[in-house]
Amino acid sequence: MKPLVSALLFLVAVPALAQQTVIEISGAHFRPMPMALPVPLAQDDGAKAVAAEFDSALFFDLQACGLFQVLDRKSYLADSKEGVTAATITFQNWLNVGAETLIKTQLSKDGDTLRADLRLFNVNAGREELKASEAAPAKDARRLAHKLANAVYKHFTKETGPFESRIAFVRKTAGGKDVYLADWDGKNAAAVSSGNINVLPAVAPDRSVAFTSYKRGKPELFLGRAGGDSTPLVANGRMVAGVDFSPDGKRIAYSVSDGENAEIYVANADGSGATKVTDTKYFLNSSPCFSPDGKKLAFVSNRGGSPQVYVMNADGSDVKRLTFQGNYNQTPAWSPRGDLIAFTARDERNAFDLFTVEVATGKVKRLTQDTKNNEEPSFSPNGRLILFTSTRGGSKSLYVMTFDGNNQIALPLDKGDYTTPDWGP
Amino acid sequence: MGMSSGKGGGRTTMAEINVTPMVDVMLVLLIIFMVTAPLIQQGVKVNLPTTKAQPVEAADKKLVLSIDINKKVFIGEVEIPLAELEEKLKANAKLQAEKELYLHADRDLPYGIVVDVMAAAQKAGVTNLGMVTDPMGTPKASDKK
Repeated sequence: MKPLVSALLFLVAVPALAQQTVIEISGAHFRPMPMALPVPLAQDDGAKAVAAEFDSALFFDLQACGLFQVLDRKSYLADSKEGVTAATITFQNWLNVGAETLIKTQLSKDGDTLRADLRLFNVNAGREELKASEAAPAKDARRLAHKLANAVYKHFTKETGPFESRIAFVRKTAGGKDVYLADWDGKNAAAVSSGNINVLPAVAPDRSVAFTSYKRGKPELFLGRAGGDSTPLVANGRMVAGVDFSPDGKRIAYSVSDGENAEIYVANADGSGATKVTDTKYFLNSSPCFSPDGKKLAFVSNRGGSPQVYVMNADGSDVKRLTFQGNYNQTPAWSPRGDLIAFTARDERNAFDLFTVEVATGKVKRLTQDTKNNEEPSFSPNGRLILFTSTRGGSKSLYVMTFDGNNQIALPLDKGDYTTPDWGP
Repeated sequence: MGMSSGKGGGRTTMAEINVTPMVDVMLVLLIIFMVTAPLIQQGVKVNLPTTKAQPVEAADKKLVLSIDINKKVFIGEVEIPLAELEEKLKANAKLQAEKELYLHADRDLPYGIVVDVMAAAQKAGVTNLGMVTDPMGTPKASDKK
């Protein structure tokens, strides 16, 4: 009798499957949508050759964006040759693996052009809800996948997805450190600097990259492009480091060190018209970061005794301390949505972890814990994801998570030592 | 133990009942219940056992595992080799969320094969197993298919 009673209770507790199209991204009730993503159907040999690249990019995008739970392919029941139209799909087989959304893709190659057709189905209703087609040169199979992933993202959120944006990062080389610009997943990386030590990149709206270089001995700012030469940006014989572009790309902020103190300057994007906006003898002010409207700066200062995150107007007025917990808070990154600033904090066990602080209220939320050191956050252009470095897998590498710390996942990078990522447009 | 090495520490009585082993035993038990067939619409054709026991009515959209008279195993209507069944079920997100499986097995099957399948299901994480039966006196669902 007892088992029967528990069975009855269990049946009552099974919730009805929600049928919603727009995904609620934040909030306590958020649940990633279970999605089935079978391997693409390659129509010809040319498409077959690049299908794996396309597939891995699409799979990573949908898995890493935090909206979906991409279901384990080992569980799939449908025949791998099942058709791509609603009439030819047995939706029961997809319901039986727990899928609420099914995505089918078809690849074909004509000359050098790779064409991808994506169809998205509501599994409960057995209905096609989105059809997107894109084409690109076959060598850009991954970028083609990113484009389609953005179409899926937009379908569910009505927002532009981050999958076609670029990131900059620093990678250790045999002779030093170089700055690279890459796709959002770290693939298709191209060097921006060449040789010596180059760190702390910032991506401008036009995808040029400013960075701090030691190639002339002292740290100075240079501006370069992927695969091109770099030119001095702020190189006035003083020690200049840590640059950030205003969101409209018209101004830069950076810090200049003169022995005992470091002060923040704001200048035009070409380095002209520099104005000193902090003035605190014997203290350090560094890591400036523009607010999304370009009117304010977040920065790090030790004027209160320990490094803390402060906010001020871009002209240096109205300085406010934002973080009060801990004694070592640094590398602020302002969310493009404006509400949050992410930063790195050293905790009482000397581990570095990521936190966000609400700009309006000062409320702090922890994002990482017990995964070695997690540092150097940078928000995606839509503010939904955070790129950061972590030593959880051994050497420092790049990871991505949602803005509230969920779904932490490593970028598919070659082995190496990666630092100071910056997520650009 | 290191802390209690004082005077008279050798002869204390243990007053608590250790419930850990009992909880362990309870957790390995598979909860089994019976389900009426007419509400289970999917699955391959099998002759279900009939029963007088009061059945539980199953709602739709349950994960059904069928075994037909030829000892072929199906998830829904897709045949799965018995050797791959456990892995298939382990990877299944629906099953892992619900921990529930409905067994739709032919009444003339040897007991051994049914137990093999139940063992695979339990290893894959199923805790509630529904035995699909035909209630006596109603037309067979399998006849309608």
